[in-house]
Amino acid sequence: MRISKLRYFFPLGLLISLLLDGIFSNLFAANFFQVSSSIESRLIVVWLVMALCFGEIDHPYLWSIIAGAIFDAYYTGIIGPMIMLLPLIVYLTLLMFRFFTPSFIVVLLICLIDITVITFLFYGIFSLISYTDASVATFIGETLGPTLAYNLAAFVILYLPLKKFFEHFSQNRSA
Amino acid sequence: MQRFFFNKRLVIILITLIIGFSLIAFSIVIRNNRKTPTVVQQFGNSAVGVVNQVVGAPVSGIKTVGTSVSELLNTYSENQQLKKQVDSLASEKVRNQTLTSENKKLKTELKLKSSLTNFDLVSAAVVSRAPSSWQNQLIINKGSLSGIKKNQAVVSQHGLIGRVIEVNSASSKVELISNEDSSSNQFATQVLSKSGNINGLITGYSQNTNLLTMGQITSQKKIEKGDRVITSGLGGNSPEGLYVGRVAKVEKDDYGLASKVLIKPAADLSDLEIVSVAKRAD
Repeated sequence: MRISKLRYFFPLGLLISLLLDGIFSNLFAANFFQVSSSIESRLIVVWLVMALCFGEIDHPYLWSIIAGAIFDAYYTGIIGPMIMLLPLIVYLTLLMFRFFTPSFIVVLLICLIDITVITFLFYGIFSLISYTDASVATFIGETLGPTLAYNLAAFVILYLPLKKFFEHFSQNRSA
Repeated sequence: MQRFFFNKRLVIILITLIIGFSLIAFSIVIRNNRKTPTVVQQFGNSAVGVVNQVVGAPVSGIKTVGTSVSELLNTYSENQQLKKQVDSLASEKVRNQTLTSENKKLKTELKLKSSLTNFDLVSAAVVSRAPSSWQNQLIINKGSLSGIKKNQAVVSQHGLIGRVIEVNSASSKVELISNEDSSSNQFATQVLSKSGNINGLITGYSQNTNLLTMGQITSQKKIEKGDRVITSGLGGNSPEGLYVGRVAKVEKDDYGLASKVLIKPAADLSDLEIVSVAKRAD
């Protein structure tokens, strides 16, 4: 029996998309963090959703917990938020995906819902421990909107390459 | 059967929440502590930092090409302006050198080994930035191996940008002064006004106006718009003489008592590639 190469590519891609989030945030900080709009890059969610929809992934929960731990330790220094949120994203995606057949619009909507959930809960946790005092209205207008727009664009660009990628390696496995 | 599954799910959710929030509480305690993070976390962060630099190199390479092309187009007009500045700089540099050597002599005469203005700069590259609008944090590629300690001040070539909040062996986290979390902004600063120096503390930042707030001012001396603000070196973390910015506005406190000074930071907090950590000499 052939072992799927996705076994290695999925965690590797998870780590790379996690790092790219930070690298883009730094390089394009002038565009990302403006006075009235701030964008949170969430390429890791795009990768997760595409992997779960088009690939055959072993242990998605385990990998998402590990990725969450790396995110928390490396970026914010507050361990906990992403460890809880990324597995939740995996759960939500698998739950929603059960009812649909994969198509561009369906996966796009799942991805947008996931990003909304993760951004909202991330904000919720941080306002709970009073690391931010932005109001919900400010948050929706200045962070959630731009974040969704940016990640939507990223999803549209990455959809076809990632779909080809995951389908290619998943077919190899069943053959 | 259905009920059993429902309970199982509920238990899992509750346990996850409890573990998650206790982890959050644990890491906040560690963060507010003076010590560095746990060994596992330090090792992990350093390892991820190395991988990050590998991944980041091609991406920042592409960006460098883009910016160099746009900078090339501005070169001529910039060159004209800079030529004018260079002449005055040369004389200022010579004057600076004489003053520094004089200062050194006077210090030896006074048997003053180090004052608050003595500091070394360790330069580091910014490798990443937290993708979060609530935590304006940078990750730099130097750590305790280069002698960086928690709470040291960090400057860019233009001025103060923040402080070190976590030190790993080969990477550290820098919290920018633009963070609205109140614990981050307490830099002891000094306004250099014509009537003398006025001490205070940076107490906040407003994202809408991009201005720092300096409070805790007890002096009655007059502060004018455009006065320079530097760190005062009081309080033990930052050295004296790091440039913060210029006074943009002076207003009375909310209670009408002492004045509140709004400062326009000199450093551009959204364009940081190389930063320096200021190590106090004492």
